Amino acid sequence: MPDRLTGALRGNVDVAGLGALLVVLLAVYSHYDSEVFTPASITILSAQFLPLILAAMGQSTVMLAGGIDLSLGSVLALAMAVFAVRAEDGVVLAAVLALLAAAATGAANGVLVAYAGLPPIIVTLAASFLWGGVTLVVLPQPGGSVPSGLVKAYNNGWNGIALPALAIVLVLVLWKVVRTTRFGLSLYAVGGNEHGAYASGIATRKVKISAYALAGVFIGLAGIGLAVQTGSGDATIGAPYTLNSIAASVLAGVSFFGGVGQMRATVLAALLIGLLTNLLLFTGLSPFYQLIMQGAVLIVAIAVKTFATRERTD
Amino acid sequence: MTALPRAAAVPRVLRDNRAAWAFGVLIVTWIAAILFAKGFDSVSSVRYLVQTAAFLGIVAVGQTLVIMMSGIDLSVSGVVALSAVVCAQVASGSGGAAGIAAALLASVLVGVANAAGVTWLRVPPMVMTLATGTIVAGALLVYTDGSPKSAKVPLLASFANDRVAGVPLAFVLWIAITAVAAWLLHASRVGRYVFALGNGERASRASGVPLARTAFIAYGTCALLAGVSGLVLLGFTSTSSLTMGNPYQLLSIAAVVLGGTSILGGRGHVLGTVAGALLLTLLTALLAAWNVSEGVRQIVLGLLIIALLLAYARERRS
Repeated sequence: MPDRLTGALRGNVDVAGLGALLVVLLAVYSHYDSEVFTPASITILSAQFLPLILAAMGQSTVMLAGGIDLSLGSVLALAMAVFAVRAEDGVVLAAVLALLAAAATGAANGVLVAYAGLPPIIVTLAASFLWGGVTLVVLPQPGGSVPSGLVKAYNNGWNGIALPALAIVLVLVLWKVVRTTRFGLSLYAVGGNEHGAYASGIATRKVKISAYALAGVFIGLAGIGLAVQTGSGDATIGAPYTLNSIAASVLAGVSFFGGVGQMRATVLAALLIGLLTNLLLFTGLSPFYQLIMQGAVLIVAIAVKTFATRERTD
Repeated sequence: MTALPRAAAVPRVLRDNRAAWAFGVLIVTWIAAILFAKGFDSVSSVRYLVQTAAFLGIVAVGQTLVIMMSGIDLSVSGVVALSAVVCAQVASGSGGAAGIAAALLASVLVGVANAAGVTWLRVPPMVMTLATGTIVAGALLVYTDGSPKSAKVPLLASFANDRVAGVPLAFVLWIAITAVAAWLLHASRVGRYVFALGNGERASRASGVPLARTAFIAYGTCALLAGVSGLVLLGFTSTSSLTMGNPYQLLSIAAVVLGGTSILGGRGHVLGTVAGALLLTLLTALLAAWNVSEGVRQIVLGLLIIALLLAYARERRS
């Protein structure tokens, strides 16, 4: 029990710390964009950040199970391509197809990790070639199209409701439910101590496969979001999401060794990274500096976190 | 290094020596290529293959050093481009020698930054090297304003294209680098440290293995070799581009792992990496010969890599 108590406390320290950082960032942000807190602005920002937030949630799911997903960018692009290619013939069917594809790629990763004795980093590395290739076959050139009504509703709000923000809240609630199920508990157990989990009767392989598949669903949703935001598909757009999703997860306190971390912290961290990127644009620096700042922020954030929570990893 | 098995049963030898497996797969693939595809049976095709494999191979040798100590370097793509771009930029103003020196210096600096982050800031290698790679990519955009120069550096051009007694100089350079790396990794004290760290960081640090020094040598050498590869590539194409290193990020790791080195570190041989790089180049050439689209090529390459890994590069369950 005391372990659970301190665990919860630590998790909330992460959330509280990120929340505080977010408040500071928003204060600076409102200096450059005084309309940041208006509904219109919130809609635009949530539309812009939804893909990264969902991708980060996918990466966090895999990391919680003690893995890592380097194929995230490829799978995100695949879902985006499938959706963009099929969206004209019916949005719902296209979304289902895209989600199925993404979940299947995740499950394939999971099977290889669970049964084949290959480390996650290698499996997902090879998978990134594979799914990158599949994406190019589905959509060789950027294209496809998403019904303009949907694009408008997503980016500008629908009857005053910010759909992307709503989607993020819904997904978080869904995660909350998953988290309380047997599977959710097993996920943390397998990530925290695989042998212990196995010894206490958890089907660790099944849990791992499900975790990768669930991550695939999150990543698929991110891809659909990106397709709806931009109104089309692009096979090469996924790459930066791999780095940024890992960055957000680590920043949120999700451990590389699995079993430690909270999804709401991941959402906050992804939001933070998104806002920071926008803030850089406001400063009038050439967009060329963006990559430099992203890398630097990543190193600083993780170094600070590592030193602040040293006893946890050592 | 794996100990010699007491009972010299053939299966045991093969199971314990995954670098030998890599060469076996390479030879089988090569024979299959000669039998089932056109144009793989001539001397000139072999020459071209070993020449182009050298670009990947040189990067992969450095990657082997880092992976062997259970690290990983995802910044090699950035460093390959950095080296070529810096050399082209400097060479067009101050001459080839200055360009080469500046390029190698810049490359090593990235390696030093990687090692510093991994050892002192305790950032996980994957995140640290992804971050430095991103920073390098951004810095190159700023440095070149988005449009890097092309440059003809005679020395580099001859390294990339000339032959000694019919053997491409790039291949000779690669083999020389591999020989030095093999000594460093398998015969020197640093190499023993690398293997020790790969087998268990905490235990080896407790028994006096200098983590920092070893990391600086490994990451520094890896970045230096990525820089060398960038220079040879510049000599080969006479142009530099911001994305010219991109294929090497994943392929260098794939070459190391296909060469039988454990991604978790501590097990393997740098010679296996040579086989891995040749194998990947051969497969790519084979797919190109069959004239399939870029997408299908990637799919087949991905599937082949997974299949080969399943065949002989599985980790033992602890």
